[in-house]
Amino acid sequence: MNTDNIIEIHNLSFEINDNKILKNISLSVKTGEFVGLIGPNGAGKTTLLKCINGINKTDGEIKVKDRSIQELSDKNLATEVSLMHQNTAISFPFPAIEIVLMGRYPYLKRLQRESKEDYSIAKKNMEYTDTSKLENCPITEMSGGERQRVLFAKTLTQETEVILLDEPTASLDITYQEQIFKYSKERSSQGITIIAAIHDLKIAARYCTRLVLMNEGEIVADGSPEEVLTSENLSRVYGINALVYRNRITDLLDIYIHKHNSQKKSEKIHVLGGGGSASGVLRQLYEQGYNISAGVFSHGDSDIGSAEVFGIEHLVEKPFSEISDQRNNENIAFIKNSDMVILCNMPFGNQNLRNLEAARYAKKLVIIEDDSPETRDFTEGKAVEIYNQLKKSAVAVINSAQLHEVL
Amino acid sequence: MTKATSSIKLMIHRFGIIPAMIVTLLVVMVAGTAIGAVYVPFFDTLRIILKNIGLLPNSTFIEGQEPIIFLVRFPRVLVAALAGTALAASGTVMQGMFRNPMADPGLLGISSGAGLGAVLVIKLGLAAVSIFFMPLFAFAGAFLAIFIVYMLSYRKGKVPVLTLILSGIAISTFLGALTNIVLTLSYDYQVKEFLFWSTGGLDGRRWEHVQLVFLPIIISVALMFVFSRDLNVLLMGEEEAKSVGLNAGRTRTILLILISIATASAVCVSGAISFVGLIVPHIMRLIVGPNHKILLPTSAIGGAIFLVVCDLISRVVVIPFELGVGIITALLGAPYFLYLLLRSKKEGGMVL
Repeated sequence: MNTDNIIEIHNLSFEINDNKILKNISLSVKTGEFVGLIGPNGAGKTTLLKCINGINKTDGEIKVKDRSIQELSDKNLATEVSLMHQNTAISFPFPAIEIVLMGRYPYLKRLQRESKEDYSIAKKNMEYTDTSKLENCPITEMSGGERQRVLFAKTLTQETEVILLDEPTASLDITYQEQIFKYSKERSSQGITIIAAIHDLKIAARYCTRLVLMNEGEIVADGSPEEVLTSENLSRVYGINALVYRNRITDLLDIYIHKHNSQKKSEKIHVLGGGGSASGVLRQLYEQGYNISAGVFSHGDSDIGSAEVFGIEHLVEKPFSEISDQRNNENIAFIKNSDMVILCNMPFGNQNLRNLEAARYAKKLVIIEDDSPETRDFTEGKAVEIYNQLKKSAVAVINSAQLHEVL
Repeated sequence: MTKATSSIKLMIHRFGIIPAMIVTLLVVMVAGTAIGAVYVPFFDTLRIILKNIGLLPNSTFIEGQEPIIFLVRFPRVLVAALAGTALAASGTVMQGMFRNPMADPGLLGISSGAGLGAVLVIKLGLAAVSIFFMPLFAFAGAFLAIFIVYMLSYRKGKVPVLTLILSGIAISTFLGALTNIVLTLSYDYQVKEFLFWSTGGLDGRRWEHVQLVFLPIIISVALMFVFSRDLNVLLMGEEEAKSVGLNAGRTRTILLILISIATASAVCVSGAISFVGLIVPHIMRLIVGPNHKILLPTSAIGGAIFLVVCDLISRVVVIPFELGVGIITALLGAPYFLYLLLRSKKEGGMVL
């Protein structure tokens, strides 16, 4: 057996009233990994965590540091694995320090008092989670964020090598949502192994080193966030249409969920855009299921990202160059082939002027005009002249909010 | 209210609440012994007690005072103190382990179970054979009752409090009916004996009674103190307790046994006394907070003080008659219970 694995689970099944919650789960976790358990409600994430923690008794094999958890006493297990529950309801007004000190429970004999060391461990963790000020504040009088941080300090005070987190931020304000993950990430880089059930896929992708996607009691994908968070996996498991892409602004994995029109439309639409003006248009057309093409974009244009995410055929010109004859011809071919052409609210320069000229070949031209063309013209009037001619032949001139009306 | 509470808190902070409560307990015990149909001055009472426990060997007193004080009144006060300790400590533990401030040994069938045990002993004539049959049967009845109630309410590792209280009421009623059947089939003198036991009177309690329950109560309550930290952890909920390595099921079973021993002992010498286990822990929780390390000892002492005072009241309000002490505790406890219910309703029903 690989000794790098701090947790080994083999053929774990769990059922409640003949209802199989977990089916043959096998999972190995290496020391220091930060594993995110993701999946829809009822996938079995919480149940799995409770099995590892020994709350749910199972027949399957669960080993922590090569020792089966069935062999460990409750207290011994609690010195190896801690679990921070989702929504712990505490209706008695314990001061925070007392709550945090409860993390020392597995280390204390029955009549033993908490030592100075126990107190210093508790206080150190309260300082770490920024709750020192709340030391004597009753837990019942705290905000959700404060309470979770106190409970997290308690979990850390248990000083286990494995920390399980069950939706630690499910009910928190956006301000506090990521804090606990930041703390966890830090701990995992110090060699603590963390397994967290996480609702928010973006947070999971951002903080976890590995994701395990669960569905209906089974592990359906396991690997790095890029490997697990694919459009296919998410669409299959969540029953939605999801597109996963790397957000160019944050360089983080991002997920776009949409109501995809299942019926593909045969109508072909070509989008003339650039400078970010086409992204929203491409998304709307994609959602409607049109057969789309786009161009000609200058290299590095953010519209290219959108076209890539939505899998749209598009034309790209070299950086800082005018549209070449070849690209222009391709563009015109697309336009002639399309039932409709949409001219986006884009800026015009000498580099992309040919986009405007090519619009003449449209069978049906729709112009999106959010800003007056004069403010977008960087060709000293040439572009506006062509633009005004195009306007005469256009079937509609609209602003981008009205796009759905012409589709 | 808040000003009074804060000044009490300040006092506790300065002197330590436990010594202060022990002194209070000793004072009310002596006062409880001194006051009665024949009044004996406070310090004479104290000296009589001290002489008879061997601390003041060379004192003399007015004839007749010594037996009244030491053989009649003092054991009675001791029984009251012991019963109060047992009931209040059991109530505290029960509220902690069920995470509910409304739990009370009386609500869960313990008293009616003990009652059934007691009536069987009387009916079978075992009380005359040995005074130890009464506590033994009372204990067995109490434990049986709470065991049934617990099993009825247990679902998937959880004990919903509403189910618990409702099954407690059902089992209490059922056991009460069994008790009544036995009573119907009993002779008049046996019925009288049982009635005397069941109204919660401390009248006629002697040293035998003290001897009978002293050890079971002191030991079971002392063992409850040992579980203070576990009770604190249990307050966080069963799964939370498991996460720090506490086996909630086993701990609860042990605590239920301790509660049954303490409560059954109290009930068999004092009859059915209600509400002590409910209101004393409540008042103490308001003063010292929810931490069982301090709450449990203070409630235990507080229960003793409360029952000694209630017994004193029961003896003096309608001289020369005497009310059952259970009547006094119920008269004080029931309105407080209702007050809590109404308050919890106003605050959004956290209690039930």
